[in-house]
This record gives sequence, C-alpha cells and structure tokens, in this order.
Amino acid sequence: MPVFTLPSIVAVALLMAFPVVYTLYMSVHSWYASSLTSPQFIGLGNFRRAFLEDDRFRNALWLTVYFTAFATALQLVLGVSLALVLNRPFRGKGLVRSVFLLPMVATPVAIALVWMMMYNPTLGVMNYLVGLVGLGPYRWVSNAAIVVPALAVVDTWEWTPLITLITLAGLATLPIEPYESALIDGASVTQMFWRITLPLLRPTIIVALLFRAIDCLKTFDIIYVMTQGGPGFASETLNVYTFQVGLFYFHIGYASSLLVILFALVLGVSLLLIKVRRAAW
Amino acid sequence: MRVSLKTWFLSIVLSLLLASPALAQKFDWQQAKGTQLRVLLNKHPWQGAIEPHLKEFETLTGIKLVAEVYPEDQFRAKVLVELTSGASSIDVFMSMPAQEGLKYVRAGWLQPVDEFLKNPALTAPDYNWSDFLEKTREAMVIEGKIVGLPIQVENTSLMYRKDVFQKYNVKVPTTLDELEAAAKALNGKAMTDDGQPGYGIVARGKRAAATSQFAAYLHAMGSTWLAPNREPIFNNEDGIKALELYGRLLRLYGPPGSENNHWYEASSIFSQGKAAMYTDANSLFPVIEDAQKSKVVGKVGYALFPRGPKGQYGSTVAAWGLAMPKTSQNQKAAWLFMQWATAKEQVLAVQSEKGVLGARESVWKDPKGMAKVPADLRESLTVGSKVGTPLWNPPVVAVAECRDAIGAAIVVAIQGGEVRAAANKAATDVRRIMLETEKK
Amino acid sequence: MLRVSGGGRDRINPWTYVLLVLLLIPFLFPLGWMFLSSLKTQVQNTAYPPVWVFAPTLGNYREVFQKNPFFTFTVNSLVVAMGSTGLALLLGLPGAYAIARFKRTGIALAILTARIAPGIGYLIPWFILFTKAKMIDTYTALILTHLIVALPLVLWVMIGFFEDVPGDLIEASRIDGCTHFAAFLRIALPLAKPGIVATGILAFIFSWNNFLFSLIIAGFKTRTLPIAVYSFLSYEEINWGGLTAAATVITLPVLLLALLVQKHIVRGLTLGALKG
Repeated sequence: MPVFTLPSIVAVALLMAFPVVYTLYMSVHSWYASSLTSPQFIGLGNFRRAFLEDDRFRNALWLTVYFTAFATALQLVLGVSLALVLNRPFRGKGLVRSVFLLPMVATPVAIALVWMMMYNPTLGVMNYLVGLVGLGPYRWVSNAAIVVPALAVVDTWEWTPLITLITLAGLATLPIEPYESALIDGASVTQMFWRITLPLLRPTIIVALLFRAIDCLKTFDIIYVMTQGGPGFASETLNVYTFQVGLFYFHIGYASSLLVILFALVLGVSLLLIKVRRAAW
Repeated sequence: MRVSLKTWFLSIVLSLLLASPALAQKFDWQQAKGTQLRVLLNKHPWQGAIEPHLKEFETLTGIKLVAEVYPEDQFRAKVLVELTSGASSIDVFMSMPAQEGLKYVRAGWLQPVDEFLKNPALTAPDYNWSDFLEKTREAMVIEGKIVGLPIQVENTSLMYRKDVFQKYNVKVPTTLDELEAAAKALNGKAMTDDGQPGYGIVARGKRAAATSQFAAYLHAMGSTWLAPNREPIFNNEDGIKALELYGRLLRLYGPPGSENNHWYEASSIFSQGKAAMYTDANSLFPVIEDAQKSKVVGKVGYALFPRGPKGQYGSTVAAWGLAMPKTSQNQKAAWLFMQWATAKEQVLAVQSEKGVLGARESVWKDPKGMAKVPADLRESLTVGSKVGTPLWNPPVVAVAECRDAIGAAIVVAIQGGEVRAAANKAATDVRRIMLETEKK
Repeated sequence: MLRVSGGGRDRINPWTYVLLVLLLIPFLFPLGWMFLSSLKTQVQNTAYPPVWVFAPTLGNYREVFQKNPFFTFTVNSLVVAMGSTGLALLLGLPGAYAIARFKRTGIALAILTARIAPGIGYLIPWFILFTKAKMIDTYTALILTHLIVALPLVLWVMIGFFEDVPGDLIEASRIDGCTHFAAFLRIALPLAKPGIVATGILAFIFSWNNFLFSLIIAGFKTRTLPIAVYSFLSYEEINWGGLTAAATVITLPVLLLALLVQKHIVRGLTLGALKG
C-alpha cells in the first residue's frame, strides 16, 4: 500500500482500536476510576452480575429491544409508504427532499426540547391535537406505561425521512421489464405492487432496516435529554444505563462489560440482517 | 540645623511604637496577590447572590477569580469527574460534605482546613468560626476533620399558601396526618391568579433528587436510613409508611408526572400559584419570592416540617459549603477566598440582598440581615436547624448510586405500585452497593 | 426508467400536491412550533388551549443573547465541527482510497464495526485518557472525539465512491509514470468530488449536533451549542420562550445548510446505505 495512506490507517487504528482494546480489558476488571485503587481482575464477574443479579440491566436490555423494535417497525411502514406515495411525478422534488431532510439534520437536543414542550401533560400542544379527535389527554413521557412508544414517536419523526429517501433511491433503480410483462399479462396495480415492487425492493428495505435498527439500539440523545431514563427506570435503555454506570457512578469495569454486551447485541442484529439480505439476492 | 542623635533615636522608636499595633491588627489580604483561582459553583441562589460581589474580592486581595457555573446535576458530575482524574486544577468548589464528603475524604481528595483556621497569619482575626450555627459546623466535619466552610443553611420545610389556607379555612398542618388532610381538602380548589384550580401539594419525585426531601418524611415517621450497625433499615414498618404517604400525597393530590419533577419543576409549579403546599428546602426562599418570576410573592408561609405520629421531628438540616481539593496548587489563595466568601460581611450581604439563608448566628441577629426574611421563616429555620437531622442523604460512600436505588422505590410509591417490594429491593440494592464500595 | 407506480403518466395530478402538503405538515410541525414559541411571551406559551395567532416578540432572543455568551458557544461549535471535518477528510480520503484500490475488505469490515459500536464505548476510554492528560475542555480533545464519529463516516461512504473510479484510468496514469499519490490526487479525487462534498457536509452536521461527546469532554471554555441549550433546560423554570429561542438558534444553521445543499446530503445519506 502506498505510503501516503499510512497516516490514515494508523489514525483509524489508534482512534478505533484503543477504545476497543481498553473496553475489553476493563470489562474483566473491577475499577472505580479512583486515583487510589487500581483495576482488579475479576474474570467474568461483571458479566455474571449483569445477567444474573442486576435487575436494572435486564430491564435496560428489554427496553432497548422494545424501543428498537417499535421504532424501527413504525419507521419502516411509514417510510416505505411515504416513498411509494412520493414516487410520482410532480414539480419541486428538490424542495420536498429539502423539507424531508430537516428532521434528520435538526439538532437532536433541540428536537428533544421541542417535543418535551409538546408532550407537556397540561400545557403541551400534543394533548390539544389528540383532543381534537377525541383522544387523551395523556401524560406521554411522564407515564411509565407509554414513555417508550412516546419516545419512539420522536425517533420516528426524526428518521422516517431517511427510510423514505433510501427507498426512493431504490425505487429509481428498479428494472422496467417485470412491469411491462405484468401489464401485458393484465396484472392489477396492487398485484404488481405486492408481487414485483416489494420483492424487488427487499434488499433496499433491509439495508434501511439495518441502519435504523443499529441506530435505534444506540439512541441516546433524545432519551437522555427528555427523560434521563425515567420515569423511574421506565425508559432506561442499555445505552443510558451504561452512561449512568460509567460516567455517573464511575464503575468503569462494570460499564465496560455492559458496553461489550451492547456491542454484541448490535453486532448480532447486523449480522442477522446481512444474512437476510444475502438470501434475498 | 543638625538634629541631635537623641532626637533621631527617639523619633525612630516612637514611630515604631506607633506603627506596630497598626501592623499587628492588619490582616494581610494581599498575601497571595497575583494568583489565579479556579472556582466551581453550582447554579444556586447563593451563587447568584455572591456573583456581583466577586469583584470586591479581587480588589481586596489582588487574586484573579475564574468562576465556572453549572446546573446542579452537571455540576456534581463535573466535580466528581475532575477529582477522580487526580489531575484537577480546581481550587475551590461548592460542596455539601454531608452528601459527598465521605466519599471524597476516603478517596483523599479533600484538603482539611483545620490548620488554616487555627493559623492567625492565614485567617482574619474577626472570622469567628464559632459564629456559625452548630449543626452547620458539624456538617462540615468528616471523620474528625473540618473540610469546608458553610455558606448557607437549609431545612426541608413546609411552604404553604397563606392566602389559600385562609380562604378555605384550613388549619396549617403540624403533623403528617394533618398534612394529608390539608392536601386532600385543598386539592382542586381555585388558587391561581386567574382563579384556576390547583393541587393540594407538590414535591420532588425525580428518583435521586426526591430522596433528600423524602428524608424528612422518613424521619418524621420514626425511621432512618441505616441502623447503628450500618444495615439499611429504611424499609422497616415506619419507613414503608413514609414511602406510602409520600407516594399517596403526590399521586392523589399532586400534579401528574411528579416522577419527573426536580426542584426546578416543583418550585415552578408552586411559584406559579398552582399548588397549595410544597415540601422542599427552605433555601428556595429567594426563588419563591423572586418578584420577577414568581406569582406568589408575599403569600407564602414557611413552617416547620410536620411532626410524625409519634411526635418525631422530620426537619432535616443541610448546609452547602466551600471546599478545597488537596490537589489545588494555590491553597493559600483558595483559603483566602473561602474565608472571604463566608465572612460576616459577605453573609450579611447575600442574606440582606437576596434572602439567601446564611449560617451565621450574628447575621440572624442583625436587623439588616433579617430585613428580607419573614418572621415565620426565621423561626422555623432556627428550630429546624436545632432539632433537624443532618441525614438528608444516606451516609454512604456511593451516594449517587444509593440515591438512585432509593429513588426508584419513591417512584414506585408515586405510581401506586407495590411499595413494600420496592422498599425491600432498594434496601437490598443499597446493601450491595455499600459492600462493593466501602471495603475499607 | 419507468416509474414504478402503475403505468406512465405524463400529466401531473394536482391532487398530488394536496397529498404532499398533508404529508409534509407532520414533519414540519414541530420545527414550526419551536419557531413560533420562540416568538411568544411566557404568558402566551403557558396558555392552554395553545395560542395560534399572536403578536410576535423578539424578547426571548434578546434575553438569550444577553444572558448567555451564545457567540462563544457558536464559535466553539464551529471550530470543533470544522476541525473534525477537515481532519476526517484529510485522514479518511487517502485511507478510503487505499482500501478501495487494494481491496482491503478486512479493514472495511473493521470500519463497519466502528460505525456500529456504541458511542459511549469510545467515550469512556478517551475520557479517562483526556482527564489524566489534563486535556478536558480543550479544542484538541473535542475535535479528536468528534473525529471518532466523522472518520468512519468518511471512510464508509468514500470507499464506495473510490470503488467506482475505473481502475483502468488509474492504471493508465501509473504506466505514464505517475506516483500513487499523483494518481490519487489528480484522478481519483476529482472523480469522487460529489462524494467528498456529501460526506464533508454530513460530518459537519453530525459534529455540530453532537451532544454526548461534548457533554463529557467539553468544559466551560469549549461548551458547544447543544450543551448550552441543555444547561438552559436544567434551570430555567420552563422558560419556553427562552428555550425555544435557544433551540432555534442552534438548529437554524444546519437547517439552512440542508435546504441549500440538499442534493449532496441526500446523496451522502442514501449512498452510505446503498453502497454497503
């Protein structure tokens, strides 16, 4: 490999490898980031504690999966539907794409703030709007039972456009032949959709799903700013919990093991989806 | 003309004699001149009151102050982060030794100031350590060493709307049973400026933040955090009753979403006139009486926290202070700042200007200091500070984690869940946390 | 290419526009609401039912700028965003080229791994390192941590772009006596320009919006805009006017950027996904 690329590779290695190695190392130690005591090797002790003794961890694991599944499913359905609707002729596609971008690029902290306002149980506009169709009022993120869906709605608002955009790009590359033959055979629009469009779109959709699932598993900003994992621990996903443990309680060892678990989870989901995608070819 | 040698000699002696008492009396505030101090402050009424005066310190001592201010949660995290690294450049920081002191002392992060206090070259002669309220002085002592200087004092107390109680003819509660009855009676009654209904009571419910105020209910019921052998006992019968009461009050007579309320939200609800009662630290007095933001200025009564069924006092007494990290490179200058900020003149200033409740007896006796403080507040504070318990937090090393564990039980109580199970779980968690973090 | 929506139509259906507007409203509403609230007084903001028509006031913006050094925050955000983006491009472009050209799929996979690892995993070790090295609250530390997000992004997308550069062109130039570096500079880079612009913009936006890393690594001097707003939130007793004014200030630059260069951003985002 040419010399001029070396600094780049070295930089990547340092930036990425160092934290990975450090985290793996720490995950089998017990350390409280104190300047007085040094890390103690405890083998799989952290992992055992997480899975067998720590309720809060199991809760966090469940919530992470719940949030991801809910949000991803919602975004997928909405995103693809939206793409199909938008995939028709009209002027101003650029403008529409711009508008769609806005939720994705807006600063998550600002978004979280506005949604907190809108979700306010007594003064927020969300209760007003759902009241117009006879629903609510709800306590939204103050209600342990619906806080996760409420947060998923915010994530959906933010990222559905991504799925739409990816799907639109995918739609643009679909071949004509299958449709021409189908038309000749007298197929209806719906039949063409279910038998041709969707299957052909599958790889694209799966890619979108992959990216969104990974990001949902790792969502932090919105949850932390809006609820800090509350009420109680009802929205404390693994990411938020790890943050508390590592940067608030300073159990660096335990936090590292949680990170390894979270990473394994994300990796597992990714590998699964990659496999499904390969099968789709 | 030649002055005789004798005259010279006499004049020199005379001038020396005249000069030395003056020299002896003058404490050298300039002894650390030219240093720069890094001071970390919590966003708190005291900080707001002292900030306009910081320039006076700089002029007096020639020391440059760089003050950083953060909101409470971030502030605590920031201080902890820096001290943990062992390489911090903080010189002075606001601290509540009763909260984090044990951990910090055991980790070797705090500089005891006993020696500074005793040294006349370093401490102004009129400083008067014994002028501070006894309980606040005690609050600054961890494992036998003085680790901070008190800047204010506060109790968990009962703040209530005098006008609302009068209007509906309800007696101001002095016991927990009366508290519940009053909350029930006033919940839903019109009490805002424009005649809207409000809540019977408001209080913190946000996990860890609620723990310190719940402490009052816990102690009033007759329980406490740890037994003498340091086993958690807040899940005994009295403790469970306290939890149930706290949860009931907020669930039935408090605002929805209480589990998300820190003092910022709770005090806002109260100062917008939407609640008849508020149990929290009376150091929030300046916030509630802020003419620019509060709608209940002048309508609020400050009472001692209600007593329990067995006559127990619930009042807690807490004091913020200024502490110095051991790693500070400018300890002399830091000490000068600490004592200046807590000297009588400054305490009088913050108390008379902004109503920040200082910890000095002399200021409490000074009419200027009491000008802004209503009589009932003075009385409840005085009594509360005498009978109150300093245990507004469990006396452990891993305070943050234990507060979260106990806070979880509080949230369950507010939500109407299984209190007993939650309390027992919290106790188990606290025991485990203590075992892990307190091996000596 | 045939549009796959049931037959080719030449006429534009006017109902499409109606549908479009209906669909776009939910996506615009929160941002619009944020902006509107920033123009209301506290009384108007705490009114229920919500006030839709009102006389706007700039008081909140005045308050925000007067009470807080928003200029400093903006400068901080700018410095860090530009620094990390610049560095990411500098380091990432040659690296992506090398990986694409020399088919180092192993490293490519490692980079995918980097992209999916949780941010906190990077944060804690770096945080410990920086505190020991007394680098907390420095631009250097912030830029380095933001680089951790920006670099994989650049690599990930640009590998795809560089793979598209025809190998023959490069080979031809090499035969003509060009060094690897010259080939990279004169042939590969220009051809991959759209990708570079896209990733540069995306890296900038993600750095600007970054909350977690800045929360822990930044201090008083280097506080970026998201952190400033978060601090605002913690204390200002539901001062919604002030909060939304601050939120608008933070988010406006990236929104404007998006509107201006949407083509590039879309390309960057979708290609990052499709060229997996």
